[in-house]
Formats: sequence, C-alpha cells, structure tokens
Amino acid sequence: MLEKTLIIIPVFNEQDSLKELLDSLVVMIGFDIVVVNDASTDASLDIASAFPGVTVLPLHINLGAWGAIQTGLRYAYMKGYQRVLTMDGDGQHHIEEISKLLQVARNSPDVDVVIGACTRRGSKLRHWAWAYFRRLTGVGIEDITSGFRLYNFAAVKTLVRKRGTLLDFQDVGVLLLLQEAGLKVMEAEVKMSPRKSGKSHIYYSWFAVTYYMVVTTVLSISKGKPFKLRKAD
Amino acid sequence: MATYQFTSGMIGLVIAAIIVWLVRRDHLHGKYAIWWLAIAGGFAVLGLAPSSVDTVASRLGISYPPILVVVLGFGILVLKIILMDIERSKSIVKLHRLAQRLAILEAELAIHQDSADRIPNQSEPLESMAVNE
Repeated sequence: MLEKTLIIIPVFNEQDSLKELLDSLVVMIGFDIVVVNDASTDASLDIASAFPGVTVLPLHINLGAWGAIQTGLRYAYMKGYQRVLTMDGDGQHHIEEISKLLQVARNSPDVDVVIGACTRRGSKLRHWAWAYFRRLTGVGIEDITSGFRLYNFAAVKTLVRKRGTLLDFQDVGVLLLLQEAGLKVMEAEVKMSPRKSGKSHIYYSWFAVTYYMVVTTVLSISKGKPFKLRKAD
Repeated sequence: MATYQFTSGMIGLVIAAIIVWLVRRDHLHGKYAIWWLAIAGGFAVLGLAPSSVDTVASRLGISYPPILVVVLGFGILVLKIILMDIERSKSIVKLHRLAQRLAILEAELAIHQDSADRIPNQSEPLESMAVNE
C-alpha cells in the first residue's frame, strides 16, 4: 500500500509541452509520476524517458486518451497506490491546483473522485454538449470532459475492470461506471489554461464531434440514471 | 426431365456438402462449424422438401410462401452479423488489455535492467564497493 500519490499523464504527440510539464512535476515531493505514451509519432517518448524519476509505459498501439489512462490506472492498482491523479500532457492543467484537489479529498473522506472543473473554458458547443449529457444521464457534473481528476483506490479498482476497457472516451462513460458502482464524485473549481500544444482529443473535427455525440448519446440512454452533485467551496 | 424437387434437392445437398467439406478440412472449426452445419442442414431440407415451406407458411398465415424463406434468411444473416460484432468487441477488449499489460511489463523490465546495470562488477576489489556505499 503506497502513501504517495501517483500522477498519470496520458501522452499522444505532446513534445511541445511535455518537457516543461515534467520539469515542474519531478521536483514535487510526495508524488510518483507515470507517463503513458499512447504510441506517439513525435519525440514524446524520448522526452519522457529522459527523466530518471518518471516511469514510462510505452503503448505499441494507440488506445486513445481513456485507454492510456486505464493503462496507468492498472499500473497504479498493481502497485497499490491509494490516490491517483490524472492530468493532460498539453499544459492545460495547472500544477498548483493539484494541492487543491488533494485538500478537497482530505476534507471529504467519503468522496471517491474529485474532478478539477473549469466551467469558464470551452466553446458554446462544448457547453451545450455538457448540458445535453447532464440532462440525458442525470449525472450532475458541470465539467464532464475534464481530465484533471483525483481518484481513490475504490475508484481505481472499479475503473481497471474489463468493462472500463470498452469505453471510447474518459468522460460520460467513466462517470456512469463510477455512478453504477455507487461511488461519490465531487467537483472543485480550478484554473485551466488553453492547450499549449496538440488539439482536442474529442472536438478536433466535425466528424469527430458527430461521432462523439452519437456514441455518447447511445451510452447515456442505455446506462444513465439520476446522480447527486456536491460542489466544493 | 428432372423434377423441381430433384433440382432443388441437388442444389441444397451440394451446398451442404461444401460446408461439411470445409469443416472436414479444418477451414471452419469450433462453434462456427456448428453454426454452418445447421445452415447446411437447412439448405438440405429446403432442397429435398421445398413444399415444406408452403406448409409452414400457410400455418403462419403467409400468403406468399417464398417470402418466408427470404425473411428468415435475412433474419439469420442479421443475427450472424450481430454475433460477429459482439465477438469483435470482445477481441478489441482483449487486444487493448494485452497492449496495456505489455506496456506495464516493458516498464517493469526497464526498471529491473536499470537496477541490474547499477550492480557493481563482481571482479572489482571489495574496498571500492565499500567506498561507494
């Protein structure tokens, strides 16, 4: 059972922002870092491998952001980490907000997942999509697509199962799995920056947006049910 | 002149024989063989007793019996495609989980190799090992 928090960073072609992110993370005390390289075609793998304090999980086929995160969660589960933080490798998430998520988790020990939410970000389409899926699933989370999340061991144990492997995206499907397992999810408002490199994993083209909306709608209709929301102060 | 029963019977039996041959030669095996042997049986029955369709259709209230064969055939095809997609989904899950496991194992191997590289050479004098510690 490890007392440290494991930070999981799924990476796909993030060579422009990854070094700066890892430079900031490796000096933090109380954290282990895992970079899951999602079959990047740029120098991301070499950049991550150059950090001796960083564990790199090299995927040989591209599994997508959620597949890469689940790889990291499986590693965390095998090693017995009690807390796991996921964050993007594109520079959107602020390092200093990590302590906020940890503080919220400490103040609310009955909460299994704390989501770092930034509801000010995103286009009107993204906000409309959030509202649409909130109504469809009953999941009372404002920032459905945030990848800045802190999971406890119970949440990790739920998400590493085979059922989790079928998911295409890390948002609605993951939240519905957590809901189904009876786990509590809370949001904490955090600051986020525009992406420093790369493009959105979901909204990168109209075809991708349409595919995401259709697939997530089918998932929501088949699995959605009411969910309680608590927001951190 | 051959009757229509003979003609349809031969067609049905030839199809059934081809499927059985494929199974015998291991081109089809396991659960897929059972499925196709059942299809071969259906072809044989339809070929040898085509009037059985008329009997079944009239009992079901279908005025045009051939359409029963068409609808049943279409339904079986759709069912087969759904089963194939279910199988494919399971295969994708297995593939993804294997890829994840491989990535974790490679990371563990790299860590162990790195640790092994740090172990001093056994032929070195003991004094130098003590200084390093």
